[in-house]
Amino acid sequence: MASRTEAPAAAPLVVRARDVTKSYGKGPGRTQVLRGVSLDVAPGEFVALVGQSGSGKSTLLNIIGGLDHLDAGVVEVFGLDYRKASETAKATLRNQRIGFVFQAFNLLDSLTCLDNVILPASFRAGAAAGKAATDQGLEMLRRVGMADLARRRPSELSGGQKQRVAIARALFGGPELLLCDEPTGNLDSETGREVIEFFRELNQRDGVTLLIVTHERRVSSVAGRVVAMRDGAIVEAEGVEAAAHGDEAPPAEARA
Amino acid sequence: MRAGPWLRIVGRNALRNRARALTSVFGIVVGIGFFVLFLASTEKIGAVLAKVFPLDEVEVVAPQATLLGADVSKRLDAHTVELIAARPEVVRAVPRMSLAFPATGDGNFEGQALSLKIDGSADGVDPAHVVGDPSLSPADRDYLDGLFQDWLDPARRGTPVACVPPPPGQRSSCPKPDRQYCDATTRTCEHRVPVVLSPAMLQLYNTQFAKANGTPLVDADFAKFMLARGGLERMRFTLQLGGGSTGRSRAVEAVLVGISAKAKPIGMTVPIQYIERWNREFVGDDAGKTFSSIVVTLAARDQVAVFSQWLRDGLDLRVEDSVGERLATVVLVMRVVLILIAGVILLISAVSIAHTFFMLVAERRRELGLMRAVGATRTQVRSIVLGEAVVLGVLGGVLGVGLSLALAALVDGVVGAYTPNFPFKPDTWTAFKPWMIGGGIAIGALFAMIGGYLPARRAARMEPATALSQD
Repeated sequence: MASRTEAPAAAPLVVRARDVTKSYGKGPGRTQVLRGVSLDVAPGEFVALVGQSGSGKSTLLNIIGGLDHLDAGVVEVFGLDYRKASETAKATLRNQRIGFVFQAFNLLDSLTCLDNVILPASFRAGAAAGKAATDQGLEMLRRVGMADLARRRPSELSGGQKQRVAIARALFGGPELLLCDEPTGNLDSETGREVIEFFRELNQRDGVTLLIVTHERRVSSVAGRVVAMRDGAIVEAEGVEAAAHGDEAPPAEARA
Repeated sequence: MRAGPWLRIVGRNALRNRARALTSVFGIVVGIGFFVLFLASTEKIGAVLAKVFPLDEVEVVAPQATLLGADVSKRLDAHTVELIAARPEVVRAVPRMSLAFPATGDGNFEGQALSLKIDGSADGVDPAHVVGDPSLSPADRDYLDGLFQDWLDPARRGTPVACVPPPPGQRSSCPKPDRQYCDATTRTCEHRVPVVLSPAMLQLYNTQFAKANGTPLVDADFAKFMLARGGLERMRFTLQLGGGSTGRSRAVEAVLVGISAKAKPIGMTVPIQYIERWNREFVGDDAGKTFSSIVVTLAARDQVAVFSQWLRDGLDLRVEDSVGERLATVVLVMRVVLILIAGVILLISAVSIAHTFFMLVAERRRELGLMRAVGATRTQVRSIVLGEAVVLGVLGGVLGVGLSLALAALVDGVVGAYTPNFPFKPDTWTAFKPWMIGGGIAIGALFAMIGGYLPARRAARMEPATALSQD
């Protein structure tokens, strides 16, 4: 386990971020969240992004996922340069190659679990519709052990069950990169352990590249690489332990 | 985005909160309700007016003028008719001639005595103009064609049969007593003078006379009515021509043969040849050649101005201000005003929809952000929000059309029950056309779309990370 910004292999990178800066607000209230962050992630890597609240790790994850804009620097995901890419190209990338898992699950209560899982198919141009999507959705739910509850609404589920449905949604369409923001933050420790184990398998057996923002020691212990952040920058290896675990309370990620 | 998933998402969203959906489309329902009702009622009023006052024709008259006490008015004569008919924009020019001397009519109808002063309220027109009226039913046309003719035309009259006028109340000895009478002046059997009345007169009769005297209502389907009642026997009367200042008088018998929009609106109309002969006989040769007006059919309505100009400059004549034209303008203005009112209601409802949808977008930030995260493009998010507005707009439009139909039925019921009969009182006060219903629904959707536009744009522009980070 080491902390470094460069990925190990020479294979085409999944994520290539260079000198990324990001700030929120204007004038005196302006907060610099990222101060020139560089990070490479190679295919098949399992990277844990750790750091205290407000260190900028969630912002970095959002920028890599195309959910937020960067102020300066370069971000390329699967070779797509975000500064030059259209919103539609980024949306297509998210739809087809990236899966998201959030701390707050973000399931739609108006939909059944299955419909939540196959939601990405709705935005896919010319994708196999109807039965094919349903079959794939059920298969994803089976993988996370939720096939029996496919017709339930998320409001009827426990936190762990919700997160498994959310993971099934993230896996729908077979993404190559999974971006997870505190995926175990709202789960009890037993359920959290199961989820982490699931991610480890996913990474080792299916070769899915994982970038996980986390507070959990357990996650960083199974990750192939731990990248620590403090005050909007990636800190050196010797600072990893302190940066990762200086803040033991698992708070919601604060922006400013 | 394919239509199936889009419809599923939009439909689900629209139905998710039914109470609010109904509240937000309330304005659209009311706006479309009044919009369609206003269209349908003004359509009906316009149609009734067009029936009473045909708009495809203009009437040319000679202005009355005197110079140093002498009448220098232009005369309308056969030459004027020829000049007008030669104009390229004129399809047809039909002269009318009014009776130029006093006359009275006496008859009875279903046992009720009718006595009328006629004078200028009788006129004549080319029979072909009446028989060729395209608004006539085929049965009425056939019926009129056989009766509304100049029966004194030598070719039609043949050799007159001499007769002795019978005492009052008795039948003549003429060969066709149901059609002919024994003329007291010429002592020959003559065909009764055929008379047509306008729909306005029919309405007056049905709503006033028949009600007051208990006589049967006359069907608009005149031929059927007449044939069912055994022909012409009961619709005849005596015209007393002349008298008073003319110093002489004689009687002819006349018979009502039909209802025609080409007849004088208030008065009676006979074939023009009769009026020409009578005016010559009682007033003089000139009176038998001077028309009271010329009814001109133009190829297109927008040529009225060109034609009027030519008429004024070339012939020193003018187009009679048509009552129908003026009323049509009133109806048009009324329609525009009412539609503007409905438009204001719709605009307010669009604002209310915008308000609702701004709240809705704020409430659903997280959901919309998630859609973006799993691959929805900005356009797709916009189309989902706009689509929901359109679904509600269509729903509002359908309910609005329903509301207008219900209001129309209510108005018809109330007016029918609480107002007396009057001429041209219609059974229904509205004329709903398919385009009004389709247009009402489409406009409902359009205004909902206008209301949903800005919220949808805001939804599409939201940064997914921001949307997902807030509760």
